[in-house]
Amino acid sequence: MSILGGGIFKGMAVTLRNFVGSYINKKERLPTNDYSWRADGALPQGIGDYPKEKGEQLSDTTTVTEYSRNFPMLLHDGGEPMDTVRCVACQICERECPPQCIYIEKDYDENGKYIKRPAVFDIDVSVCMSCQICVEVCPFDAIVMNSQFELSTPDRFGGLLVRRDDLLKSNDYYHQIHPEEAAARDQKMAVEKAAKEAKKKAAAEKAKAAAEKKAAEAAKEEAE
Amino acid sequence: MIPELLINILITTVPLMLIFATLFAFTTWLERKALARIQNRIGPNKVGIPCTRIGLFGLGQPAADGIKMIFKENIVPRGADRLFHLLAPILALIPAMLVLCFLPLDFPWVNEDSVKAYLLDGAVIFFFAITGLNTLAVFMAGWASRNKYSLLGGMRAVAQMVSYEIPLVLSAVIVVMMVGSLNAAEIAGVQMRENWFVFSPWGFAAFVIFFIAALAETNRSPFDLPEAESEIIAGYFTEYSGFKFALFFLGEYIAMFAISGLAVTLFLGGGDGPGVTLDQGLPTEAFPGLAVIWFLMKIFALIAMMIWLRGTLPRLRVDQLMGFAWKFMLPLSILNILVAGFAWHAERLGNTYITVTTWVISLAILYGAASGLNQLNRGKVRPREYKYAE
Amino acid sequence: MSTAAAPNYELIQQDGLETNLLEVSMGPHHPSTHGVFRMDVKLDGETVVDLRPVFGYLHRNHEKLAENMSYLSSMPFTDRLDYFNSMTNNWAYALAAEKLIEVEVPERAEYLRVIMAELTRLVNHVSLVGFFINDLGALGTPLLYAFREREKILDLFEQASGARMMCNYFRFGGLRNDVPEGWLERAGEVVDSFPSFLDEYEQLLCENEIILSRTQGVGNLPRELAINAGVTGPMLRASGVAYDLRKVDQYGIYDRFKFRVPYTDGDTGDCYDRFMIRMLEMRESIEILKQALAGISEGEIMGNAPRVFKPKPAESYGRIEGPKGELGFYLIADGTPKPYRYRVRPPSLINLTVLRDMCLGGKIADAVIILGSIDIVLGEVDR
Repeated sequence: MSILGGGIFKGMAVTLRNFVGSYINKKERLPTNDYSWRADGALPQGIGDYPKEKGEQLSDTTTVTEYSRNFPMLLHDGGEPMDTVRCVACQICERECPPQCIYIEKDYDENGKYIKRPAVFDIDVSVCMSCQICVEVCPFDAIVMNSQFELSTPDRFGGLLVRRDDLLKSNDYYHQIHPEEAAARDQKMAVEKAAKEAKKKAAAEKAKAAAEKKAAEAAKEEAE
Repeated sequence: MIPELLINILITTVPLMLIFATLFAFTTWLERKALARIQNRIGPNKVGIPCTRIGLFGLGQPAADGIKMIFKENIVPRGADRLFHLLAPILALIPAMLVLCFLPLDFPWVNEDSVKAYLLDGAVIFFFAITGLNTLAVFMAGWASRNKYSLLGGMRAVAQMVSYEIPLVLSAVIVVMMVGSLNAAEIAGVQMRENWFVFSPWGFAAFVIFFIAALAETNRSPFDLPEAESEIIAGYFTEYSGFKFALFFLGEYIAMFAISGLAVTLFLGGGDGPGVTLDQGLPTEAFPGLAVIWFLMKIFALIAMMIWLRGTLPRLRVDQLMGFAWKFMLPLSILNILVAGFAWHAERLGNTYITVTTWVISLAILYGAASGLNQLNRGKVRPREYKYAE
Repeated sequence: MSTAAAPNYELIQQDGLETNLLEVSMGPHHPSTHGVFRMDVKLDGETVVDLRPVFGYLHRNHEKLAENMSYLSSMPFTDRLDYFNSMTNNWAYALAAEKLIEVEVPERAEYLRVIMAELTRLVNHVSLVGFFINDLGALGTPLLYAFREREKILDLFEQASGARMMCNYFRFGGLRNDVPEGWLERAGEVVDSFPSFLDEYEQLLCENEIILSRTQGVGNLPRELAINAGVTGPMLRASGVAYDLRKVDQYGIYDRFKFRVPYTDGDTGDCYDRFMIRMLEMRESIEILKQALAGISEGEIMGNAPRVFKPKPAESYGRIEGPKGELGFYLIADGTPKPYRYRVRPPSLINLTVLRDMCLGGKIADAVIILGSIDIVLGEVDR
């Protein structure tokens, strides 16, 4: 039999080792207070004093990893947001959203014809659970995840309903916060666009060839 | 004109209360920081100098806690006994503060005229008698709250405190036997001349038993069943809020100080340390107040040990706790008294060989008895082996 | 629901005094019931005479909701079933749905699935041991050590999927996205540093006399009762049955890994056995992780599942060895994009049915410990 009370002494040795270790070996013992062990180069050091480090306000996008997601945002390609917005109000994300937090209304012009942009696009941020399903099902790469988390507001109902104009963010901002993902998405869109152009050109050439053939046949018939 | 007797009394008691109240505040801060560091986190570090951002390692935290407690609303459950609900924390605090005057703390500003309670010829007996009032306060708190959880906590606390008083007293009896007097100052003085009592086998065993019983008396982990958070939320002080809770807290910590002080007096030599010598009956110090500083440092060593145990050990169940007191510590302390008695006579003979043999024999007897009792009580409990399937 | 009969306590006459039983409701708000769970106990002094568990405080209509949504849209809700192990919940659902359509999961995706599942098992077992010792009264020290390790693994999950706990990472036919660069090295570092943490943890806990005397002999679950009640997972293995779905079903690519399954030698299990079996299983998970991290190769991570998930009318049951037991999903498809019936087999609930049998006759302090050793998460019990 081991020493009387031996298990208790071993336990006390472990706590003493942790006590001393938290002063001299911070990397191993206090990993959540000191971020220097993380491999992401993007994290600032000494971040323990959020939100103000040495008097300067830290942005809330400086602490995220590549894939981290908070709430969605609508993308536009620069310039006046509503001119280059990618969303066409097809309402697929509204249908697929699990907690049903998106509300979309299509936009119609003066004659009542449907133009391809949303008139109303509301996301209730208090319901959204950041699941990313809307991003996956969108066929136009129009909605992606933002990583801003400082959205607290004293207005419990209206303040947490984010409207279309607040959701619109430019593609350059997307490149800033998630560079790899944005680059991959741009490449995919370019490939699709090139494929569409090629198909259109092939269709146009085929049509031209068919039209020429028809014109040649018509001329031949006339000649006979 | 203020009578001289009153001044002589106040000059010993008021500084005592002030010093220990400050030490209480410091101990709450120390406990939170030490527990936090054991658990790999930092503990309070933001509350320092008010109205600035200087953290000062969180030293302002006890003051902030005190102010918060004072401003909290005083809630008494409907149907609870209001008088006893109010009396219980007061009754928990007063005995703890009262016994502080029996500790042989020789402040430099007292002279021969001032009233020193520790020179009382029955100081140790008084100490144990007054500490027993704590039990009554705890039970009053449990009953007066009109809450099943508090009642459970109160009953457990009474059972625990009553059963651990016996090993506590019996291990103090050894020291009293060795010295031949119940006078606290004399016990400390004897240890200044000879070795401290903790450095002999029976003294060491008595010190360990005293320390464990002290943990149980003050309801500290691993004996904090009355305040067991996971089962009965806060036990006997579930229904207390605000200042009354602060009084309970204060009472518990001052009781910790008092019992540690008694342990230091009985076993660790009182104010003894380098720089303090004893001749012609009164201790002389390198500079005035050194004995008090040694005393307080030893108290803090014991408090640090208590905090360390609190951070490491889970708590015992009620029947295991009672079994531990009655079936392990009580027989061991009685055996300890017998061994100490024989050893005292053997040392009087003056022969070194006999002294050494006595030490070895008593060490063997005590360790063997402890192991045997342990086996008897929990013989079937041991780590197990498991099989593996591929 | 349980097989033990409570003794017939009416009014107990002792020496001419009438006594009553103390009825305590360890109610939904309680520091130790692992969520909103209530136990109505009747006490005779400190002994438990009767115990009635009451749950349903966290019922969120998960199964009915899934009948109104497409198959993909209910994947995020499976994260929230057993909120500690979102990855394994996702895998069980993906398995059930992949049985309805013919799709082959690429090899890299299979390896990553195994890595994520075993990391989840580490997270769950280490948190459970921490919570268990916390219930015993250790004031949070082992719990915070466990959480320190859990943080490192949650950081890995965040880098791979974007969220720490509600990962939503598995898809029908593979995974959502590949892990970023350097993730496999970082995972290797975490796995390499885990055994030394386990050694330190064992030194703190496994020979501590107080833990030994409080958990041995407490909460005995005989083997026959465990099998009859449908108990699975570490609880079953602690009662002496060597049954692990990773060896029985060999779903995924578990047949490629060499690992052992610990179980008790005997035919009853108590709280100490359950706690030790979980500690030993963590070491086996580390073995699997090392083999998986060494054997993973480059490749695709998404098989060719149809773009619109509309399976033909069929039914399927997909089950995995989750960290708490056998987690199963039963799906009935009827040709539309939404399932006709969606049923979850929650291991926590089925393990909880034997609570009363284990607690009768013990003390009230033991009831809390037994509940802690069953390892329930209320999200799964109530769905």
